[in-house]
Amino acid sequence: MRKVLISDPTLRDGNHAVQHKLNLAQIAAYARAADKAGIPIVEVGHGNGLAASSMQVGESAVSDREMLTTARENLRQSKLSIHVMPGFATIKRDLGPAIDLGVDVARVACHCSEADITQRHIAYVRERGKQVFGVLMMTHMLTKERLAEEALKMESYGAEAIMLMDSAGAFLPTDVAERVRTLVQALHIPVGFHAHNNLGMAVVNSITALESGATILDGTARGFGAGAGNTQIEVLVAVLNKMGYETGIDLYKILDAADLAERELMPAIPTIKSTSIVSGLAGVFSGFAKHVDRVSLQFHVDPRDVFFELGRRGIVAGQEDLIIEVANALSSRRSDALAEVV
Amino acid sequence: MTTNQPEALQSDCARSAGQDLRGLAPLRKGKILLTGGTGFVGTWLTEMIGFLNDRHNFQISLTLLSRHASSFPERAPHLASRADVNLVESDVRNVADLPSETEWIIHAAGNPDSRTHFSSPVRTMETIVLGTQTLLAAASRLTPLQKVLCLSSGLVYGPQHRDDAPLGEQAFSALNCNSLANLYPEAKRAAEMVTAAYRSQFGLPVLNARLFAFVGPYQLLDRPWAINNFFSDALRGGPIRVQGSGDTVRSYMYGSDLAYWLLRLLVSGKIGAAYNVGSPVGISLKDLAVKVAEHAPCRPLIDLNTLPAANIPCTRWLPDVTLAKTDCDLEVRIDLDHAICRTIEWQTRHSEIPTTRSL
Repeated sequence: MRKVLISDPTLRDGNHAVQHKLNLAQIAAYARAADKAGIPIVEVGHGNGLAASSMQVGESAVSDREMLTTARENLRQSKLSIHVMPGFATIKRDLGPAIDLGVDVARVACHCSEADITQRHIAYVRERGKQVFGVLMMTHMLTKERLAEEALKMESYGAEAIMLMDSAGAFLPTDVAERVRTLVQALHIPVGFHAHNNLGMAVVNSITALESGATILDGTARGFGAGAGNTQIEVLVAVLNKMGYETGIDLYKILDAADLAERELMPAIPTIKSTSIVSGLAGVFSGFAKHVDRVSLQFHVDPRDVFFELGRRGIVAGQEDLIIEVANALSSRRSDALAEVV
Repeated sequence: MTTNQPEALQSDCARSAGQDLRGLAPLRKGKILLTGGTGFVGTWLTEMIGFLNDRHNFQISLTLLSRHASSFPERAPHLASRADVNLVESDVRNVADLPSETEWIIHAAGNPDSRTHFSSPVRTMETIVLGTQTLLAAASRLTPLQKVLCLSSGLVYGPQHRDDAPLGEQAFSALNCNSLANLYPEAKRAAEMVTAAYRSQFGLPVLNARLFAFVGPYQLLDRPWAINNFFSDALRGGPIRVQGSGDTVRSYMYGSDLAYWLLRLLVSGKIGAAYNVGSPVGISLKDLAVKVAEHAPCRPLIDLNTLPAANIPCTRWLPDVTLAKTDCDLEVRIDLDHAICRTIEWQTRHSEIPTTRSL
């Protein structure tokens, strides 16, 4: 029976869906349920990862220290994981203390073409004797060959696995298959996949990744995550069970955990809203959805236009401030057009 | 352990060199230039030459040319302060004139660290290919020059599969020259071709040594190789993590054996030849982890198959060293157990890892 390692970023990616306002009681409750279900890796933190709480991308309700301490106290079997973007998290101020708090796995992430910036962080995690994955985000923006080169850098830096993130939910199964196959062939470490559901493809894309050689999959309870959400972990586990894969996760208990998450964590279950479909088509980071909706309202522009313009400009996570610039430009353009008509 | 480190390393040099030093006699009072002189290979060569001068009055003068010469006193103070060692900070890509009295050259410049290869592929190519060409052009103007030994890599042969025979000097298979994963071996292949061109066109007395895997003091534990990771994990208290089944086979030659082999090849290797340098005794990574654990102060546990994967290769990388034995009477003299023991002892004193010392 083929083994699949399931990693659950409900308490990290899900934070995007609630403007990073998950509280400690929610973190404790879901961590306990996930641990009981036997989920191997549980990721916790601000939606953009360690030390990302800020005015620009949103402030967390509670500190990294509090989140990690609470999760650690409630995880007995599951490994505690963090998402680490070198632009936010520094080694001395953030990463070191997080490991001191009991983090087992650090997933060091960057935009898909910028693996060079992960070297020191990956090396540091290895030096501390913890498991480290390299994470390439927005992977629809790069060819499979270039992705392989970036992934090879991360492998050479010491990453023990590479996660491909479809951050914009832009992939079709064929996109996933060709990228995963290329990486599996190029690398000597496991390959994983993290989906977003903008085009309703999250589960099938995850399974396609698996069938193409990936051995690590991300999933979140009810798909709780940025934009249209992620692969729904309870569905994923059920499908994997049916296909004969071994996850080590108890089906009833993961269903219970998902029910709890819906009840305790989510003001609304992630659905594929119109803007999410557009963001998937435009290839824009799913986490932008709430910002785009808010800013579009403010500037009286169609959020769908904003997404397509952001996509045209190739905007990536961390450039949230450009949403206002784009909305403002669209608004001005419309005003100019109206003035000409008058 | 409380072994005096420089003395321990000199005693290792003595074991590697053996009793009969006649094979190195042409180096007496010789002027040797070593490029890339402050890396693992260069440091061990300096250690060996220091031993020959101190214990056998060889009176060799050694010039170490390195981009990192200024950090050598911190890395190896007992070597950097020697009167017979002249440190020169320079990049081999920019060398115009070499010391005019140079008789022997060992060209070791070229970082084998894959992190550099992937992050800075252009610089890697420049250092290896243009660096070799620049050096050989300068060497061809030296009147007293006896011989140049260029260090290549056992990776030039291409991949070796689990059941393949040990790699002889003619065991080439094709590499994909359009893949960055092969940048280092392709650069080394090109550099070897540069040596062949200079030998043919200018009659330069040059040969190549193809290096495999090594172990010993001066090894930097942040380097991305299995044995370095095992030491690092072990010194931290474990567990030693082995990706995959651990059935991949490697072989490891100790630093002082490496240094002795290179000096012997410099003296007795045939011009135009290429020699494998490494241990012919293979060991699986699983067994290697066990050996490291046995010698580590805290007897760490071993974790196999740390992550599920279908693509972790089960390969081997093992040299056939018959040619080095036939032409230069070379053999491995320091076994892996001693090598591991000595390395752990050295790392416990020198590495920045907060080691677990309790038994």
